[in-house]
Amino acid sequence: MNSNNLMLTIIGLLLNLIDVLAIILPVLLAVAFMTIIERKQLAAHQRRVGPNTVGYYGLLQPFADALKLILKETVIPSQSNKVLFYLAPISTLVFSLLGWGVIPFGQGLALSDFSLGVLYTFALSSLGVYGVLLAGWSANSKYAFLGSLRSTAAMISYELILSSAILIIILLTGSLNFTTIIESQESVYFIFPLLPVFIFYFISILAETSRTPFDLQEAESELVAGFFTEHSSVPFVFFFLGEYSSIVLFSCLSAIFFLGGYNFPEVFLNESFINLQAIVLGLKTCIFCFFFVWFRATLPRLRYDQLISLCWLNLLPVAVAFIILVPSILVAFDISPY
Amino acid sequence: MNNLIFLFIFVPLLSLILLGLNVLLAVHRPDESKVSAYECGFSPIYGQTRSTFQIHFYIVAMLFLIFDLEILLLFPIAVTLYQVSTFGFSIAIIFFIVLTIGFVLEIGSGAIALTNFDQPSYPINKEKKL
Repeated sequence: MNSNNLMLTIIGLLLNLIDVLAIILPVLLAVAFMTIIERKQLAAHQRRVGPNTVGYYGLLQPFADALKLILKETVIPSQSNKVLFYLAPISTLVFSLLGWGVIPFGQGLALSDFSLGVLYTFALSSLGVYGVLLAGWSANSKYAFLGSLRSTAAMISYELILSSAILIIILLTGSLNFTTIIESQESVYFIFPLLPVFIFYFISILAETSRTPFDLQEAESELVAGFFTEHSSVPFVFFFLGEYSSIVLFSCLSAIFFLGGYNFPEVFLNESFINLQAIVLGLKTCIFCFFFVWFRATLPRLRYDQLISLCWLNLLPVAVAFIILVPSILVAFDISPY
Repeated sequence: MNNLIFLFIFVPLLSLILLGLNVLLAVHRPDESKVSAYECGFSPIYGQTRSTFQIHFYIVAMLFLIFDLEILLLFPIAVTLYQVSTFGFSIAIIFFIVLTIGFVLEIGSGAIALTNFDQPSYPINKEKKL
């Protein structure tokens, strides 16, 4: 009887492990391919070939890069705080990977589909700032310090725009659960009624992931590499993975909030056993990943004071205006979307 | 065990394993110039790190606290707008009016302007008028 219980516990743990691996491994693969997509697409924008030697079409390039970086020496600056120096990249990677825990990839296909999923995502994206702050402080180098200050101020400013955009989505769905948000978009994707909201939402996620035109923390001519100037080999890989994981995560979240997640037009419904929902979500995510790289290829970088004043003086008033406008319309016409 | 808790254990373990791999596989031969701070080829000048910085970064962080709290306070009304309807919404509007007055005061006092006031960020050609 006792050994039977033990067996059941072990089987339960193994099932948990399989569940987690089924989320984390594809995510890590997606992050690896996001890096190669970025290089290939930037090359295509500039009419170059891009990486094409390792594997077919350079597909194995990210794995070769990762292997090389793991084999490199970790240099810890003598003046740094050693514990924080390691803690910063680990926390960046951990917080950006944990965000995948509540994403539904299909009907009921989430690791944990609990009722406060949106708040969970918010909490984790806010905690991501700590990695940046700790990295800049612990390295004890002036470039890293200035880079982390810039990055932190930009990230927390644009988080306001992000949360107010999502607040408007919540107004239309009446739930903080991701599955409910997706299912309330069955008739119309929120990008159509909320196009202006989508625009400032997308600007804010560009700044949250500190991509061009908002990549002020790593303005190469001024601050070398920003807050991870002193980090090398595996700590650098953690920052890199964390950054690209959050790009893919935010693309996925935009697909869920504005393009209806795993919903697709009913004409494509078929009887085959292929899970079309997850594929559709992946394709929608790819659209936003494409946008991320497209903006990097197209737009020049802002100046730092322009970055902050764009957030506080232009975007925040617009966001607040929409927070008042959308519920006003809903209350005035007595529309109940849910 | 909940899947999410398992994820919370698994992901830090994964990163520790990667760090361990690096410790096992990579060489460690630090020398003096390797472990000194990165300073564009020159030897670092002592006392330039962790010095004072512009107050604006701090002010932005404080403003963020206020406004993030405001938006988080609105989440309950976003979820229950159809239960509280017009009355609850009018209360939220009053809340917003107060906040907007505060925000206008902040902008007016120049708390957010990061530019140096001695040198305007845009070129004003006052001399050309002469």
